Amino acid sequence: MNQPLLSARDLEVSFEIGRKGLFGQPRLLRAVRGVDFDLMPGRTLGLVGESGSGKTTTAMAAIRLTPPTGGSVTFDGDDLLTLTPEAMRAHRRHLQVIFQDPYSSLNPRERVGAIVREPLDLMDVGDPAGRDARVRELFSLVGLRPDQMALFPHQFSGGQRQRISIARALATNPRLIVCDEPVSALDVAIQAQILNLLRRLQDEFGLSYLFISHDLGVVQFICDDIAVMYLGEIVEYADRPTLFSKPRHPYTAVLLEAAPSLARRKSAGYRRAGMVKGDLPSPMNLPKGCAFASRCPNAQARCREEAPALRDLGESRVACHFPLG
Amino acid sequence: MNPLMSLQDLRVEFDTRHGRVTALSGVSLDVMPGETLGIVGESGCGKSITALAMMGLIPNPPGHLTEGTITFDGEDITRAPARRMRQLRGGEIAMIFQEPMTSLNPVFTVGDQIAESILLHQDISRAEADKQVVELLETVGIPEPAARARTYPHQLSGGMRQRVMIAMAISCRPKLLIADEPTTALDVTVQAQIFDLMRDIQQKFGVAIVLITHDMGAIAEMTDRVAVMYAGRVIEQGLSDQILDDPLHPYTRGLIGCIPVLGRAAASADRLPPLAEIPGVVPPLHLLGKGCAFADRCALADDRCRADRPLLSAAGHGHPVACHHAGVPA
Amino acid sequence: MTDTPAPRIEAVSPLREAWQQFLRNKPAVAGLVLLVAIVAFVLYGRYFVDADPYRIVWAPLSAPGANEAVPLGTDFLGRDMLVLLLKGGAPTIAVGLSAALLTVIIGISVGALAGYFGGWIDDLLMRFTEFFQVLPALLFAMVLVTLFAPSLVTISFAIGIVSWPATARLTRAEFLRIRELEYVTAARSIGAGNQRIIWKVILPNALPPLIVSAALTVGVAILFEAGLSFLGLGDPNTISWGLMIGQNRSFLLEAWWPVAIPGMAIFLTVFAVSLVGDGLNDAFNPKLRSR
Repeated sequence: MNQPLLSARDLEVSFEIGRKGLFGQPRLLRAVRGVDFDLMPGRTLGLVGESGSGKTTTAMAAIRLTPPTGGSVTFDGDDLLTLTPEAMRAHRRHLQVIFQDPYSSLNPRERVGAIVREPLDLMDVGDPAGRDARVRELFSLVGLRPDQMALFPHQFSGGQRQRISIARALATNPRLIVCDEPVSALDVAIQAQILNLLRRLQDEFGLSYLFISHDLGVVQFICDDIAVMYLGEIVEYADRPTLFSKPRHPYTAVLLEAAPSLARRKSAGYRRAGMVKGDLPSPMNLPKGCAFASRCPNAQARCREEAPALRDLGESRVACHFPLG
Repeated sequence: MNPLMSLQDLRVEFDTRHGRVTALSGVSLDVMPGETLGIVGESGCGKSITALAMMGLIPNPPGHLTEGTITFDGEDITRAPARRMRQLRGGEIAMIFQEPMTSLNPVFTVGDQIAESILLHQDISRAEADKQVVELLETVGIPEPAARARTYPHQLSGGMRQRVMIAMAISCRPKLLIADEPTTALDVTVQAQIFDLMRDIQQKFGVAIVLITHDMGAIAEMTDRVAVMYAGRVIEQGLSDQILDDPLHPYTRGLIGCIPVLGRAAASADRLPPLAEIPGVVPPLHLLGKGCAFADRCALADDRCRADRPLLSAAGHGHPVACHHAGVPA
Repeated sequence: MTDTPAPRIEAVSPLREAWQQFLRNKPAVAGLVLLVAIVAFVLYGRYFVDADPYRIVWAPLSAPGANEAVPLGTDFLGRDMLVLLLKGGAPTIAVGLSAALLTVIIGISVGALAGYFGGWIDDLLMRFTEFFQVLPALLFAMVLVTLFAPSLVTISFAIGIVSWPATARLTRAEFLRIRELEYVTAARSIGAGNQRIIWKVILPNALPPLIVSAALTVGVAILFEAGLSFLGLGDPNTISWGLMIGQNRSFLLEAWWPVAIPGMAIFLTVFAVSLVGDGLNDAFNPKLRSR
């Protein structure tokens, strides 16, 4: 097996959120707790979870758009977290991002041609004349017309804006693109267009994606490996066929149960079985044992006492005392 | 059985800077007592405006209800006075919205807000209302209902807030509950809980539900009948099973085909085939021509489609559909 | 695969759209016309009435219309009010503009750095801002003017020093809001540095409320200058509308016009500036735009 393109070890992110009294201890929110992952070149690693699971923070910390508070991240052999800010900026041409909200991820005051061109200017890629040609090429590549370059973001629909975002991310020929819920703000019909586009571009340019999503249908379509996250930790890590055919963590099973399906029919008297109860515990006040114990249908006494570590179960790694069969 | 709510040939127009555009055209829908009707489509298809019309909440200006009638429980409410509509809303017709945070007033406790809506419609004392509040919160599955009634909206999670909204909606035993994308803002596991709750409420109180959604999965799981809307018109309508198993309109087929649903294919190590796509985007309302609004995105479209708008008709098919090529495989 | 070729839309820049919205606002357009007329009167009036403003032309305190040669009457020294009004306009407006400019420069710099960097920089700059905010503005300006001789430059400076905290707070609030938006993270992800993000990405998006506040500051500064002059702290060597009011105020009971006429001029200017400011406010408010 070849070397991973991006790998994180024991990644930690904490946020200070106020303090008790003027001189008290700052209160820490541990958003990401000891996350390890490896993204292989040309593959897609999915980070899956609900809001508050820390999936976006994990990805953003891995490429230093959020400062990590611990752990290490290696990109193509370089330790990203020890790079100087200047060296990090030089690395950014290989690490790009597509954001979730196509309405807030494009600067409303810039023409979209300039938005796509900006990374080329900032990274000093190619000569100025060549950059214009490159922007045109990128527009056609993502299914937009080059004559739309002079328009402003608000003149485009959500799907078109996401195409602009993709063109911007591709501009510098990056090796890795972090896709932060790139289709969750789009209508289903548009969602399919963008997902197909992302996969076509991956095949064409050998891109690697770190793909963040809450939607297992989308993840199943685009990801090769999947890390399921819950309250800042990875609870299950497996390749796609394994995860979807043999989920081992009860939370994964619950997510699969909740994923979109046309097979559950009201006419057939469909009821959900073993649904989780309640909401996520507060990340400010983490339970002593397994974070999922309070909602888990199979939780036992040990689960509430002792936090399970991620362990190897052959095809998948699972953080559960009583993995499903 | 008579329909509980019936829209006949509804036409709604809006004044925009592009002139007057038609947001709804020839929309006819019946909601039967105790059933769930789904209205599905992409944003801009008119599903939310249909919901607003049912509640007499079309904003005027810029909106105008120019044609058609709305009947609720045998009463023509098309041009009912504002007072009568206020009586119905929150009383016999209740609604829940997509974003529960913005629909609750942040400066009052949730108990106060539910009690308020009870007192508006029932002639009882505040103490009795408070007792009902606790019962309602228990009904919608909120733990420690008496304590929760004294909390403010921001102290509750999104799922809890949506439960509070539902408690408020059912506080006056409505006959019709209109739910506009009630779970879109919620996490998948919480979404499933809310759906379960809505089904329980329906069984318990026999309330009819109109579910506005873009999610075909929600249609399958929640609805008895469904109307598919596109560019302000109903383009296909029928029993949910009919629509899901045997969609006749190319747009409905596209909507169903483009969802990445879980399946056995995921277990194979090979890449999944590309998703079915509906090319293009929904046309802006001011640019709708004479022909079928879907023609520009449709693989089956011919000259007839571009010249002559197909009407909703069940002739020759199992259920009503508005397409010249209904049922022809793409 | 590609989107259907939508009908070609023209590239309408957000600024142009705001201008079109501004033109739809009748009072704002009226304000703009009035403002242009006042500025034209002040700048080009001397081509029609050119005379030494200090020359005594007629009996002191003669009423407007009493003599055809002095249509607006004379002041307490017998100088021509019309000529004084023409000469006094430019310094008045100049003080307003330069004080507003200073306000905007200090306010935006402080607010931008505080809002963008946050943390201790924010704490430090905001305490600094609060210090200036709690100073009684008029009193502090009076002290500055008395300390450094009452010239137009000192006066503009004093007004600028007491007015920037509001702009700084506004700028900070806008920066706090905008820095959380994804296009700022997007800029960082393509390697943009702090300087670029502050001045080229966030500031243009924060400008609309700042432009409005700057326009209103011009009006406030003109009034402030008038107030200082009225208290006898104006620049005695430069004629301004405020100075005219200040010098003639002791004769108010005998003659109202030497005070009322420059007062009216100040009122009209500030009124026009406020109308334009309100118009800009509406023009930049996307919610008021018909879609």
